[in-house]
Amino acid sequence: MKDFVKLLFSHGMGRMGIFIITLFLFASLFAPYLHTIDPHKSSSFENMLSPPSTQFWLGTDDLGRDIWSQIIYGSRISLTIGFVAAIVSVVFGTFVGLLGGFYGGIVDDVLSKIVDFFMMLPELPLMIILAAVLGPTIWNIIFVVSVVNWPTTARIVRSQVLSLKERPFIEASRSIGASDSFLMFKEILPNVVPLMFAQSVLMITLAIYAETILSFLGLGDPSLISWGQMLHFAFESGVMARSLWWVMPPIFAICSLIVSFTFLGTAITDVTNPGYKEARGL
Amino acid sequence: MKSFILKRAGASLITVFAVICLNFLIFRLAPGDPVKMMFTDPRVTAEQMQEVREKFGLDKPLGGQFISYVQRLAHGDLGISFWQKKPVTRVLAEKIPQTLILVITALGMAVILGVILGALAGWKTGTRLDTFIVSASLAMYSIPSFALGLILLLVFAYTLTIFPLSGMSTPASGLTGFGYLKDVAWHMVLPAFSIVMWYIGEFVVLTRSSMTDVLGQEYITSARAKGVKESGILWRHALRNALLPVVTMTGVNLGFAVAGVIEAETVFSWPGIGLLTYEAVMKRDYPLLQGIFLLFAVSVILANFVVDIIYGYIDPRIRVGE
Amino acid sequence: MVTTPKKKTFLKHFMVLLFAVLFFLQCAPATWGKAGVKTGGRLDVGFTQEESLESLTCGESWQYLEMGCVFWPLVYDQLWIMGPAPEYEAKPMLAKSWETEDHQTWTFHLQEDARFHDGEPVTAEDVKFSLVNLRKADPAWAYEDTNTKSITVIDEHTIQLTLKAKHGGKYPPAYWMPVIPKHVWGPHQENMLSYDNAQAIGSGKFKLKEFKPGQYLWLQKNKEYWGQNAYVDDVVFRCYGSQDAVNMALKKGEIDMVGYLGIPAISAEDFKGVKDIKFISAPGISMDWLTFNLHQDNAIQDLKVRKAIMHGIDKERLKNMVFFGYARKADSFIYPELSSHNPNLPQYNYDPEKAVNLLESAGYKDTDGNDLRNDPKSGEDLVFDFLVPSAWPDEIKCARLMKEQLREIGIKLNLKITDLSTYYGFYYEPTSDDFDISIATEEPGPHADWVWQFCRCDPDLEMGWNGAYYCNPKFDTYLDKMAEATDMDKRKEYLSEMQKLVAEDLPYGFLIRPDLICPVRTDKFEGYVKTMGGVSTWINPWSYFKVHLK
Repeated sequence: MKDFVKLLFSHGMGRMGIFIITLFLFASLFAPYLHTIDPHKSSSFENMLSPPSTQFWLGTDDLGRDIWSQIIYGSRISLTIGFVAAIVSVVFGTFVGLLGGFYGGIVDDVLSKIVDFFMMLPELPLMIILAAVLGPTIWNIIFVVSVVNWPTTARIVRSQVLSLKERPFIEASRSIGASDSFLMFKEILPNVVPLMFAQSVLMITLAIYAETILSFLGLGDPSLISWGQMLHFAFESGVMARSLWWVMPPIFAICSLIVSFTFLGTAITDVTNPGYKEARGL
Repeated sequence: MKSFILKRAGASLITVFAVICLNFLIFRLAPGDPVKMMFTDPRVTAEQMQEVREKFGLDKPLGGQFISYVQRLAHGDLGISFWQKKPVTRVLAEKIPQTLILVITALGMAVILGVILGALAGWKTGTRLDTFIVSASLAMYSIPSFALGLILLLVFAYTLTIFPLSGMSTPASGLTGFGYLKDVAWHMVLPAFSIVMWYIGEFVVLTRSSMTDVLGQEYITSARAKGVKESGILWRHALRNALLPVVTMTGVNLGFAVAGVIEAETVFSWPGIGLLTYEAVMKRDYPLLQGIFLLFAVSVILANFVVDIIYGYIDPRIRVGE
Repeated sequence: MVTTPKKKTFLKHFMVLLFAVLFFLQCAPATWGKAGVKTGGRLDVGFTQEESLESLTCGESWQYLEMGCVFWPLVYDQLWIMGPAPEYEAKPMLAKSWETEDHQTWTFHLQEDARFHDGEPVTAEDVKFSLVNLRKADPAWAYEDTNTKSITVIDEHTIQLTLKAKHGGKYPPAYWMPVIPKHVWGPHQENMLSYDNAQAIGSGKFKLKEFKPGQYLWLQKNKEYWGQNAYVDDVVFRCYGSQDAVNMALKKGEIDMVGYLGIPAISAEDFKGVKDIKFISAPGISMDWLTFNLHQDNAIQDLKVRKAIMHGIDKERLKNMVFFGYARKADSFIYPELSSHNPNLPQYNYDPEKAVNLLESAGYKDTDGNDLRNDPKSGEDLVFDFLVPSAWPDEIKCARLMKEQLREIGIKLNLKITDLSTYYGFYYEPTSDDFDISIATEEPGPHADWVWQFCRCDPDLEMGWNGAYYCNPKFDTYLDKMAEATDMDKRKEYLSEMQKLVAEDLPYGFLIRPDLICPVRTDKFEGYVKTMGGVSTWINPWSYFKVHLK
């Protein structure tokens, strides 16, 4: 594990990704201590739509609410949705992939067909109609994102399981009468974990992106302030063009968080590639 | 080959049917009485509602509703838009051309630019140029196109006022022929650019990896041994072979392209299917959303089908595999 | 040259005739036309995408969509039209005159030379066709004042309406009804809404030149118009992707005025003292109020709670924070400047202390220490579901502020922000208890008898307007009397009583009346007409009729 982290840090993109993600994690954990006020709280008439100042580091929006606080607290929403949706979709996808890959035959056929079907659907329209129909709550958004993203994991895990199944150590366990569930969860699953990890990072990226775009399209949870919703309100306000301090911070936050997770994901893929160590002379 | 096509067509049809079922079921979850939602006005009478209910078979049990839904679908009837009050089919037909223009232009440019940059990166693997191209395109690829679009809109349309504020042509300009095309092209610059920047990463990464594969092949080495010029190897030998997977990806990625279109059209109010999706969401126009989803899903399935067939022609191993 | 006597008489006759014609022109319904006004030019008007027409079918979009209700009064004539501020008088249009004796049977005499855009004459048959079929096609056209027992075509240019009930007041019936050509719509009579109306043949001052859904709508002056015509040659409604784009377009000069709702108050300062832009603000036509769902079996039932809520809301702060100061007080469905407004209504000023006292004295105290008051009957916290549609950004802002303010007096609002159709679904069905309090807004207009249906007892939701589920038989008696009253003083008296009852019973709590800020460009045009609601609304097509080149 230590070796792995070291490898990640040797990778330029990995370093940068980890650094930015750590910043955001720090911000969301210590939000109350970072010169923030309640992001929902409106302020006085004079402070409406005011540009950045020492009191409001990034200025205020059209209700006099502090943009800096909204960004900091918004990172909680993005990260929560990212992590939860990633875990849900990866766990579910892994389970389906395990089942299909392990049992093969008709089970595999049926599951593969379902996976193929879901992978064929255009993601954003599917998310949009699901979110529109189910209603805008944070849990629905997590559900929607997971529904769209689990098949990729299922497909990758399945092919991994197929190759693992043929390995001698599985044969050996089977011959001493290990049960199916033992084989699946105790023998094969641990070998899939690195893959799940890499996949999770990718899913986090997709989930954060999905929350942002759904919120921007007006399908966000109205009781929360997320970056996508900040953009939605700014876009609809009619004063977007002359209050750049309102629009730019969320765009910047969204982009840097997503890019850093993408970099981290790429780094993990590179690092786990057997040729990587050699090439680096490690 | 024939049996291969038939098999593929059959599989695609089954998928389409599954999409129809899914589409039907999802919208049964929609809150509220779909009939009541067709009228904003509370004065609608019970008879008027009953009439609509019968017309769309909504008075039947779920199974009956499904059958009548499929029947109407077979006749090209996707229902009536709550918001626009006209047949969904017609609404979609009005918007498809605009979206096609935008998608084809953007996709075309992304392929050309992506392939050139990807080939360069693959050719120079391991150099600074390679690292720069790859990380820059990864970054562009992960930035949502609506975010980039907003920046472009704010800078080039609102602040510098170089480009039009919104839309796809100057309203009531009376322009025709070439003048009109020029006008549309002018309006297309920003939205197309925001989509291109998003797609490009995909093609760069793909071309690069395919390129490195090809460059390791024997025939390249032998071409080099024969003294063929480096540029000749790059363009004539390597790239041509590296392009195959790129071509297929263009089709397969149509589902992905859809997202870029929805985002760019919303930001720049390009009057196509993407903007229609946004408005249908805002107005919770369920029949229209249902139609849009069906349209997107079927076009993605169709694109995949076509790509499969083309691939089958080019690479016979696929057919054997079947 | 010597003028022969014969020639002289000719000249005399000619002069007399000329004066007669001039005199006639002065007296014709079009007295507002000034000689020597420059005609021509193209007026560009901006709308946001959400406000824009996507089809020209004759349904709800002509009523409820911003571009829709500005579009049809330009293309279609009405029997009579409401004049501009401040009189808001009934002015003849297709009907050159009308009369009634008992206020139940009304006779309209039509213009003889009116023609549709395709050259066919406008006849009483067309009027009858429109009155009968539009209301059948869509409930949006089902007005009380066209609810007829019978419609008789007396001759080609005379039509008689016999209403089901008497129609009092200063306006004749059949307000705000387009007259559509029977020869075009006849074949689609059974299914009017599915006729796409791509040609939009009307008899109005403008005719359709080109329509690109969601992009633009291009109207051209109807050169053959029978009466006083408009001055501009072209009117183009242009659609923009966002309010920002509309604002920019006005600044850049792409558009001359904003189509319906003007600009958001927050951007008002951007248009003050700008070259070639005249800053116009007008008292609003819309009013915002709270609707209390009296069907809910909870503390909302308690008048004291409703009063406390009204006293707990700082309307001044709403005015400043949401409307940048561009708003006025509202205390009734009737605007204060109209003569039927009751000036002695009970007022609910911001007074948190009074609110707290009201709640305390009625036993609403915090018994479980969570800083929220509890209902003495059920013991539950005073938490109310507050309904707001996501499509109304200003009202969402109001809701957020009210949530903060009511928290101060120990009441919690749960904001339920939904899309507009869901909102209406919930709002007009108080019996399904989907909300406790809702924000609501309407544009009653100067001729607003219809808004009182919001208060008519309607336990089975047959009328469907009564979102508050308010029921007071005393109110209904006054309402019936008012509708039929032909004596203007009596009518005013009943209206006063009705306003008082609503203010006392508080089914609806009035919040604010936002101003309309509608800057216009003056580099090319002048003559914009301002009424309540600004220069372009459903009650004000006059700017389009009167704007002319400088």
